[in-house]
Amino acid sequence: MSEVISTTDLRQLVGDWLSQGKRVVGPRQVKPDLILYEPLVNGEQLLLDGFVRPSNSIKEFVFPRHESVYAYLFQGKELDLVDAEVPFREQVLLAARPCDAAALPILDPLFNWDYEDEFYNTRRRTTTVVSLACLAHDDACFCTSVGLGPAETRGSDAILLSTGDDEFVVQPVNEKGRALFSGHTRGSAAEPTFPPGPKKKFKPGHVQTFLREQFESSFWQEQTLRCLGCGACAYTCPTCHCFDIVDEGNATGGIRAKNWDSCQFSMFTLHASGHNPRNVQAQRQRQRLLHKFLVYPEKFGKILCTGCGNCTRNCPVSLGVLSVLEALGTGQSI
Amino acid sequence: MIESLRKICRDLLQSNEVQVVIGYGQSGPGKPVHPVFVRRPEDIHQLVWNEHCYTNLVAYLKRKEVQSLGKAAIIVKGCDERALVVLEKESQLERKNLHVIGVACEGMGEPRLRKCQTCKVRLPRFANEVVGQMASAVDDSRPRWNELEEFLKQSPAERMAYWVEELGRCLKCYACRQVCPLCYCERCLVDKNRPTCINTSATPKGNFAWHITRAFHLAGRCVGCDECTRACPVGIDLRLLNQSLARAAEEQFNYRAGMDPQAEILLGSYSLQDKESFIG
Amino acid sequence: MSATPAFEPKIVAFVCNWCTYLGADLAGTNRLEYPANVRIIRLPCTGRIDFNLLIKAFEMKADAVLVSGCHPGDCHYTSGNYHARRRWMLFRELLAILGVDLDRIHFTWISAAEGKKWQQVITEITEKTREMGPYAYLSPARTATDEQWREEAVS
Repeated sequence: MSEVISTTDLRQLVGDWLSQGKRVVGPRQVKPDLILYEPLVNGEQLLLDGFVRPSNSIKEFVFPRHESVYAYLFQGKELDLVDAEVPFREQVLLAARPCDAAALPILDPLFNWDYEDEFYNTRRRTTTVVSLACLAHDDACFCTSVGLGPAETRGSDAILLSTGDDEFVVQPVNEKGRALFSGHTRGSAAEPTFPPGPKKKFKPGHVQTFLREQFESSFWQEQTLRCLGCGACAYTCPTCHCFDIVDEGNATGGIRAKNWDSCQFSMFTLHASGHNPRNVQAQRQRQRLLHKFLVYPEKFGKILCTGCGNCTRNCPVSLGVLSVLEALGTGQSI
Repeated sequence: MIESLRKICRDLLQSNEVQVVIGYGQSGPGKPVHPVFVRRPEDIHQLVWNEHCYTNLVAYLKRKEVQSLGKAAIIVKGCDERALVVLEKESQLERKNLHVIGVACEGMGEPRLRKCQTCKVRLPRFANEVVGQMASAVDDSRPRWNELEEFLKQSPAERMAYWVEELGRCLKCYACRQVCPLCYCERCLVDKNRPTCINTSATPKGNFAWHITRAFHLAGRCVGCDECTRACPVGIDLRLLNQSLARAAEEQFNYRAGMDPQAEILLGSYSLQDKESFIG
Repeated sequence: MSATPAFEPKIVAFVCNWCTYLGADLAGTNRLEYPANVRIIRLPCTGRIDFNLLIKAFEMKADAVLVSGCHPGDCHYTSGNYHARRRWMLFRELLAILGVDLDRIHFTWISAAEGKKWQQVITEITEKTREMGPYAYLSPARTATDEQWREEAVS
């Protein structure tokens, strides 16, 4: 016996959450060929049909692209520092892909490592993640290769599983998820459908051995020549989290802000001296793979990748990490 | 046709006339087509040609990682080749140090990309050799500024609302800049700090400042390859911005970037006859 | 209850040092009164005026912008104003498609002898801008549900 909610009731529930003052984020068809996770204005905007893999990830709702950390004001010879007032608000990240949701517990240790990031933590606390298990995947998906799957619950507070009949089984993962749907579901004998995820495409252990042993290999240059050094992969990746601190202001004052940064930008490791230890794209690409598949697991015990495929889909030249990971398995560089 | 393309490239590599062929590859049927850099003649089978050869490979000529490989042969469509003309005019490359293989192109994408529907350069004009022929007479009578004119029917306030929404999605990933063959500055203005010129933040102010700057730095230089629009991960219609400047260049100065190698660079020159109506 | 202060437009004028700035100075020495709403920014030549400067003026809440320099043929650096003219012809197209209010950007040629013209131009622009009202350069972004994420950064 499971608890189910119909698609209609789910859309209605979105309206209820909105009128309670919550922010509700979900996949939306922004343009004919563009799906994004965006704040919804009503339940009708929620996109549930078809292969819904938004071009962005949900990380921007706990780790925004731009965030002020404090303001500074010059008062004569005095300097006033004003803490940023972050308008935190209860939010529901609805119909997130499991590969997006699973990224959050992977990021939690990073934002609480040598410093507890109150911005991230507060947003995490006020966020409820309701993922939607996948019924389809495409060639760029590889969640199963990194220990996840289409119905993975890690990072979710509740997961919706389609019964194929315009309704979803609601499976709470914790009390937060249970409370969100309490009273809005009905009992049913319906069973969810569980399509298999993508076939495994590589072994993380094999990848780690390669990364450990082939640092100087010409593989990196050959495989990543086509990388143009933009930030499309990093910015649409659910787990990438590098940021830059900038001051934006003028003679009277300004703000200090955290902005997203990408390790693929040519100046990412440019030192004040002018030296750049990673001034060739192959070194930057190698570092990205090392960080995600070797360094982060060694430090935090988790692979910094959920196999969502956004990097491959959004890369203007279809590089991403998957083609590199597959190539290092076969020894081919195309 | 692919066989003659591959033969030309294999011969160039074998004779060491070039050290790298920059072309298109595909790891399997139905997989994405992407740039490849073939260095050995025996790898020439990697080269493909089909309706998904989107990337403007001329963008790679600015990359030091590619420059260090030696003399290159590059495969270009007509639209890509216009970028070569501009680069040469701006002294960014020596034509004799590059072997250009033009390919006759009936258009990319299914359905055809917008730029292909009004293309006037289906046969590259300045290549060392051209592979392929146009199978059918191509109708290029379609008006080029339809979309722009439709857009301009909106009031300024409506246009601004459109762009606030459109540019509001910008992540500042700079994919648009990186894929552009004409964005070759070693240090882009947006990366300048001390003092900061353009806000790097992904806010309305920062996004407008970036896109205005990039569009205007390409005024009279953008060749309309639309790679920036294709590369954008959040689907911003940058083509409209570039088109507005391209049309202004054409209508006010009779200038089309990359068409005439003899024409003076538009914003690098001036004429006493420049006529405007808005200076008091 | 005190009356709301009347709106006083902020006009930013980017002027060239050799013609318009001296023209403005002449207006001053001749005691020609013109509205104090204008903030004058002096540059060596209109050719040096980067289009980004105009954008910055609007970002910093200018209600109107004036760009003014030497008449064609009179540029102190021979051809700076010709380059500027061509640049402005194209830049206006970009501003038009973005929906920036072109009625708030003015271009003039004012020579060092034209103190009177400076007075007239500034008076006209100020009056016109006062009528048009304050300029919200990037009108409030987006819809009510995500003001947090698309917050207006103009401060």
